[in-house]
Amino acid sequence: MKRVFAVLSLLLCFGCDAPIEQPVARTKERPVVNIPLKLRQENWVGSRDEGSCVHATMISLFRWQGRYKMADYWRRTHENGEWPDDMAAKFDRAGVRYAYVENGDVGFLEWACRTRRGCGVTVMGGEHMVALVHLDSKWAALLDNNMVSKFIWIPRETFIAEWKASYGWAIAPVYTPAAPPPQ
Amino acid sequence: MNRILLSVCLLCAVFIACSACYADSTTVNGVLAEKRVVNLPNDQDKWYVSVVGNDGDSIYRSVLRWFGENAALVDLKNKVHFCQVASGTPIYQERYAKNISTLPTVRVQKPDGTVIYEASGANIPMSAEGLHAAIAGGIDCAQGIRPILPWRRYMNNKPCPGPCPGPDTQPVEPDPAPQPIDNGGAPEVDAPSAAAGAILGAVGISVIAVCVVLVIVGSVLAGAIAQWKKGSKG
Repeated sequence: MKRVFAVLSLLLCFGCDAPIEQPVARTKERPVVNIPLKLRQENWVGSRDEGSCVHATMISLFRWQGRYKMADYWRRTHENGEWPDDMAAKFDRAGVRYAYVENGDVGFLEWACRTRRGCGVTVMGGEHMVALVHLDSKWAALLDNNMVSKFIWIPRETFIAEWKASYGWAIAPVYTPAAPPPQ
Repeated sequence: MNRILLSVCLLCAVFIACSACYADSTTVNGVLAEKRVVNLPNDQDKWYVSVVGNDGDSIYRSVLRWFGENAALVDLKNKVHFCQVASGTPIYQERYAKNISTLPTVRVQKPDGTVIYEASGANIPMSAEGLHAAIAGGIDCAQGIRPILPWRRYMNNKPCPGPCPGPDTQPVEPDPAPQPIDNGGAPEVDAPSAAAGAILGAVGISVIAVCVVLVIVGSVLAGAIAQWKKGSKG
């Protein structure tokens, strides 16, 4: 009788327990700034025979953040290489909302990827700019405007060392990133 | 003579005090320039509202107009990442075409992509107020909030006789959706406008001018009184 009572008590206890919510599997998008292939701007040679990597990177990010008309305008009106101050002045004149650092502050890169906006980052000793489209505790992903067909994944520390050795300039338009894929 | 020296010293003190008030300003080529202050928006917790449709579709255009005119929807738009997506664009083809069945579509998502409200085609409410109420209901449901509607306040113990009421029977103005954490309010990264700078500069110059005039008038009065006293003594 005692055993039956114990079994019944156990069953009642199970019945009173709160329902356990099953964990829902969520697939995080990688890279977080997953710019569609058709929106990626390839680098082009400007009138001074210089590459336009900074502008190409900004155009890709403009498109990712829904600024298509600004992207088209920028493609038509800007070319050649850029310096941080000149680029800031051009953004100011055009009324672009942006943020940038040129002191190698990794916090800026983390902010840009945490908010899914991405940013342009200098590499190759400052000779080239690419888009940083992902940064987590282990990996960084870059979108090179000289090869837009695929993302380049490299270890986080390797990328940060490269960036800091390249003047540590990073610049990002600050608008609305594309919505994540539905879950 | 001592009083004149005192006046000059006072004048200098006023100038030093005024310049200290404007320590944040720097002079560039003789022009007062405000230092750039950048507040990076930590808005990774903002939700997303996507309005997807064909540019030629009247419902799509109406919904977009509602988000620009209806106060409640404008308020909502300002609190989320608002994505306007036209069909036929690359962003639509690569990120929306696979997961949208009918156009136009209004979709509300959490930052991780979880869809908490979606209406498309004929299921989109016919008024801006209805759409806002439907979205608000979706947000409340997603957060486990179940507001008691007025006509149900005394019917909690009764079984639901049929399907739940649609969005258009909900209150026109439900509780406002909780604002996602923004870590410092609205994102503002633009430099102060030229007009604001000009007003600030004008106010500063006015303050300095008034101080200078007051010091000069005070010095003159003090001198005159001293002379008068000297004359009356003589």
